Amino acid sequence: MAVADRKTDIGPPDFRQFLPPIIKKNYGKWAYHEILEPGVMVHVGESGDQLYTVRAGTPRLLSTVTIRQFAELADKYCGGHLRWTSRHNVEFLLTDKSKIPALKKELHEIGFPVGGTGNAISSIVHTQGWVHCHSSATDASGVVKAIMDEVYPHFVNMDLPAKLRIAFACCLNMCGAVHCSDIAVLGVHTKAPIIDHENLPKLCEIPTLVASCPTGAIRPATVDGKQSVEVEEAQCMFCGNCYTVCPAMQINNADADGISIWVGGKVSNARHEPMFSKLAIPFIPNNPPRWPEVVEAVVKIVKVYAENARKHERMGEWIERIGWPRFFKMTDIPFTKYHIDDFRHAGETYKRSTQLKH
Amino acid sequence: MSQPTVDEVAEAMYDLVKVTHGKKNLKAMDLTKAMIEKFGEDAVDKKFCKLAIRQLIDSGRCIYSYFGGSFITLPPEEGSGG
Amino acid sequence: MSEKLRSTPLLDELEKGPWPSFVKEIKKSAETNTMAEGTLGQLERSYMDKISHWKHGGLVGVMGYGGGVIGRYSDLPEEFPEVAAFHTYRVNQPSGWFYTSDVLRTLCDIWERHGSGLTNMHGSTGDIIFLGSTTEALEPCFADLTANGFDLGGSGSDVRTPSCCVGPARCEWACYDTLDACNDITHSYQDELHRPAFPYKYKFKFAGCPNDCVASVARSDMSIIGTWKDDIQVDQAKVQEYAANGVDIEAEICRLCPTKCIKWDGKSLDIDNAECVKCMHCINVMPKALRPGKERGATILIGAKAPIIGGALLSAVFVPFLEMEPPYEDLKELAEAIWDFWGEYGKNRERVGEFIQRVGLGNFLDEIGLEPVPEMVAHPRSNPYIFFEEELEEDE
Repeated sequence: MAVADRKTDIGPPDFRQFLPPIIKKNYGKWAYHEILEPGVMVHVGESGDQLYTVRAGTPRLLSTVTIRQFAELADKYCGGHLRWTSRHNVEFLLTDKSKIPALKKELHEIGFPVGGTGNAISSIVHTQGWVHCHSSATDASGVVKAIMDEVYPHFVNMDLPAKLRIAFACCLNMCGAVHCSDIAVLGVHTKAPIIDHENLPKLCEIPTLVASCPTGAIRPATVDGKQSVEVEEAQCMFCGNCYTVCPAMQINNADADGISIWVGGKVSNARHEPMFSKLAIPFIPNNPPRWPEVVEAVVKIVKVYAENARKHERMGEWIERIGWPRFFKMTDIPFTKYHIDDFRHAGETYKRSTQLKH
Repeated sequence: MSQPTVDEVAEAMYDLVKVTHGKKNLKAMDLTKAMIEKFGEDAVDKKFCKLAIRQLIDSGRCIYSYFGGSFITLPPEEGSGG
Repeated sequence: MSEKLRSTPLLDELEKGPWPSFVKEIKKSAETNTMAEGTLGQLERSYMDKISHWKHGGLVGVMGYGGGVIGRYSDLPEEFPEVAAFHTYRVNQPSGWFYTSDVLRTLCDIWERHGSGLTNMHGSTGDIIFLGSTTEALEPCFADLTANGFDLGGSGSDVRTPSCCVGPARCEWACYDTLDACNDITHSYQDELHRPAFPYKYKFKFAGCPNDCVASVARSDMSIIGTWKDDIQVDQAKVQEYAANGVDIEAEICRLCPTKCIKWDGKSLDIDNAECVKCMHCINVMPKALRPGKERGATILIGAKAPIIGGALLSAVFVPFLEMEPPYEDLKELAEAIWDFWGEYGKNRERVGEFIQRVGLGNFLDEIGLEPVPEMVAHPRSNPYIFFEEELEEDE
């Protein structure tokens, strides 16, 4: 079939055709909302109409079998109308309040917890990991599952000082926005790429490869009579950018890959301006299938935060108030030279005053 | 130089991709800049080159590919997998 | 196919516990789909070896497109032939991720016909992700999608699939129609989305208010964040209701206001709106009593990105306040001016945020025709190394 005969560039379907009647009617005319219980909200229109939302957590990776189950529940309880949130939660949109308990019960029976609203831990936004990515330093779904199993009470309750957003990325490419999360779990490589000199000239264009290195650690070299490259290992910061540009620069390393943990970021402008997450734990080795050391570290940070932050204080606001020295002390996390920035503009992060707590 | 047709510019782009194949990967903007250089900025502009690139790709002579960035390359030979 | 699934003792551990299990999901599809079964096998192998067994291929799309498909191949094709080629589709989602049960079933039908039956709802960019297609299935699946009103999203050096928050469909705080703006921009730039012509990716994210539920300030080259110019709307009776119901207005509202512009005398709330920075905190705590003002629009910020290559960036203010009415001409004009300059001079894999740092924000503004305003900076420069330009007299 010639290209000209194909249907292309039609773009996504218009969302308006999928909106439930109550939303069409009250579009842009909502007055306020309330969280009735964890995972259940009511939005009240200026018209007085009430829209009930039941939010359930999902593992992001869904089979069509499950999507069909959700569709059936939507047919049964809300005229076939549902949506997803930016954090992989599924939301059922009801007009009949009396149907909420039965829907919750059915969701529970098929294994999807209702929650994730208000001062809770919502679903972890995450990446593909070993399920589908070539540059991942760890799995994503497995670590996320193991963490959520342990912090589950904070998903189905709203018992934290403020909302707590956890995000996961399996390498420094960070598909998604993990670098501005209350807790960011990030896969890291820690060894320089192993170069496949045999295939490099066939697979990669050397000038582009050399230019891809942010620290200039890659140089052209002739190896066994073949055009290739060499890596100045002392200059390598294991970002993996060369591997993205050239598959012959294998950055994945079973013995050296693992996980780092970052804290105190946020994207909302509420109270404090948006902030990056900062390094808490530089490296924890991969320990599948349930990464107990990573889970333990996250649970500890959540616990210390929950016990000490003031109402409405996000992780980063709490740490800013108490100071980083106290954060490390309270969480028993060792502070090392790896915590001190040594990339561009690093000096801006040094403490340059005597305002210290003793 | 007289005003080239879209086909002529697409053909010139194809020639350039063939010549640089295996030596340098070209992005859409590389092709565009080369054509403006070749035909003159009075004869072709970015918009015109966009039409030529579309022609080049839709004809199947070139494809888009990704090596840490999108490039316009010759199609892979049959069975070379990936 | 209902032969026994491969043995996966490590993955089976991840079926335990209260949180929904992705392993159960893969197994559900694996009951009837050999590609899903292969996925299970290869993933178990990764759990044993502690390493990914996928490799990247150059393949990027269907005929004519340069984005929307991510090529993926197994590095153990003899052992897991079912997933030897296992490409991803990015299917452009409807604004706000709204669906009907019928359209979801249509998508399931298509994906069960052509691929593994495994999806992500949704991927990081916002697309519906179909995980696992053979090379041969790409064209027929695409034809099936377009016949049913769906198209592919972006990947590579192009406009990435724009996404937005729930907006006016279900949020009283939406300061503009995020869903319509997202839909309009997506449809206006189909060519830029499907035929990569940029130095690198370009992301739009539409957030209806400064709470930024789509994290646009952290991950979009163009962040469109709703805000307002006039006074916060106050219902004093409702404020008193919150106070009566246990909200400590002095502690939870007044003291947490970043500019301390709110006073409470036990009866009425007094907001000095000229000092308000529209942070949303007081509105978030008392949604029945407080609402954003009526003169609404958006702040346009440019240049957020993740660390690769030159370090992570948050978006920076370009237009402090822009009215957001269809057909969004000012927004489009700004986007196109940026693409024109960055498109010509940006390096491969250089995001616009990095490009701006390289050429300097002042020079960048000159090129795209925006006047510098103090809202663009946290503070003016503190170093004296100014590149003064020679004034040309005939300019006057």
